[in-house]
Amino acid sequence: MSVAKLLALDKVAKLFNIIKQNGGIRASLYKLYKQEELKDGVLVGEDKFGNKYYENPRYFYSRNRWVEYSEKVHLNYDASQVPAEWYGWLHYKTDLPPHQDPSRPHYKWMAEFTENLSGTTGQYTPYSTTRAKIEPWVPKPKTGA
Amino acid sequence: MTLRCGIMQAIKALGSSAPNTVLSVLKKGAFAPVANQIRQTHLPAPKPNEQRPYSPFQDASNMAELAVARLDDLLNWGRKGSIWPMTFGLACCAVEMMHIAAPRYDMDRYGVVFRASPRQSDVMIVAGTLTNKMAPALRKVYDQMPDPRWVISMGSCANGGGYYHYSYSVVRGCDRIVPVDIYVPGCPPTAEALLYGILQLQKKVKRMKSVQIWYRK
Repeated sequence: MSVAKLLALDKVAKLFNIIKQNGGIRASLYKLYKQEELKDGVLVGEDKFGNKYYENPRYFYSRNRWVEYSEKVHLNYDASQVPAEWYGWLHYKTDLPPHQDPSRPHYKWMAEFTENLSGTTGQYTPYSTTRAKIEPWVPKPKTGA
Repeated sequence: MTLRCGIMQAIKALGSSAPNTVLSVLKKGAFAPVANQIRQTHLPAPKPNEQRPYSPFQDASNMAELAVARLDDLLNWGRKGSIWPMTFGLACCAVEMMHIAAPRYDMDRYGVVFRASPRQSDVMIVAGTLTNKMAPALRKVYDQMPDPRWVISMGSCANGGGYYHYSYSVVRGCDRIVPVDIYVPGCPPTAEALLYGILQLQKKVKRMKSVQIWYRK
């Protein structure tokens, strides 16, 4: 064991390395503000929405693959913005990212991926054929007066 | 000519023989209020590649509106960063609710801390089957909470009775007792699902218009 390792100086070196990889002190602070975590890793791929996927096996399992959301969504990121192609890789269903996996089916009837649109006008509203249990009271306008 | 007459008569006959309820629903436009309400209270759906600013209030036309919009942003930021749920577990969902308080899911990092008193909490997580016997107590607890208050309905039983829907002693959905903001599906939902529900509630809190509505008045 070297002296540097004994004094845990390699951890300090690792920290500087992480800051360097994230693009300096300012960029690192911005990243901490945005996603509350600063990691170093290998860029595995990027999806069509601009989300970037990283991997670093030094971190323990389940923290060693992560996504950095697109700059465009800023702080409005949401786990449902990870498209279906990348979901499997991110959740360890497969080790092959979509661009390296030729066995994935591509049919023309496959729907376009959307994020969770609940709370917006694009949300899914179930269609009901039953009569509403509650009807709002619509007062009649006064006539004559 | 005769053919057209025949068709007309057929349509008339169909009209008179169709169940009254169907016609009244069509006439009153039963789906129009729902669509209208969504249009008024919901944000427009974001396009996948558009730039999304922090604030959902971007259409201020003058300085006063801009000021109240930013005040609302500040207020909502504070509110969504300290959502305190009421400790209120009814059944097995409560075990999953304990999990999000534990280190693995760690709800503390979102400022979500369980409070033992309804008078100091913002959100009630209805975790489990709501029985007829428990319903008045639940409503009482809800009534004791201070005003910007929310309800998360957790699990099938709280959403709509679930497994016990046909039981003689179970309320078929806690939305019959209290107004619900977020429904979390599952039986029981995973701790991750509940955490996602809390994040969805944060999104909802973020678009509250308290100061802006006060200004409009």
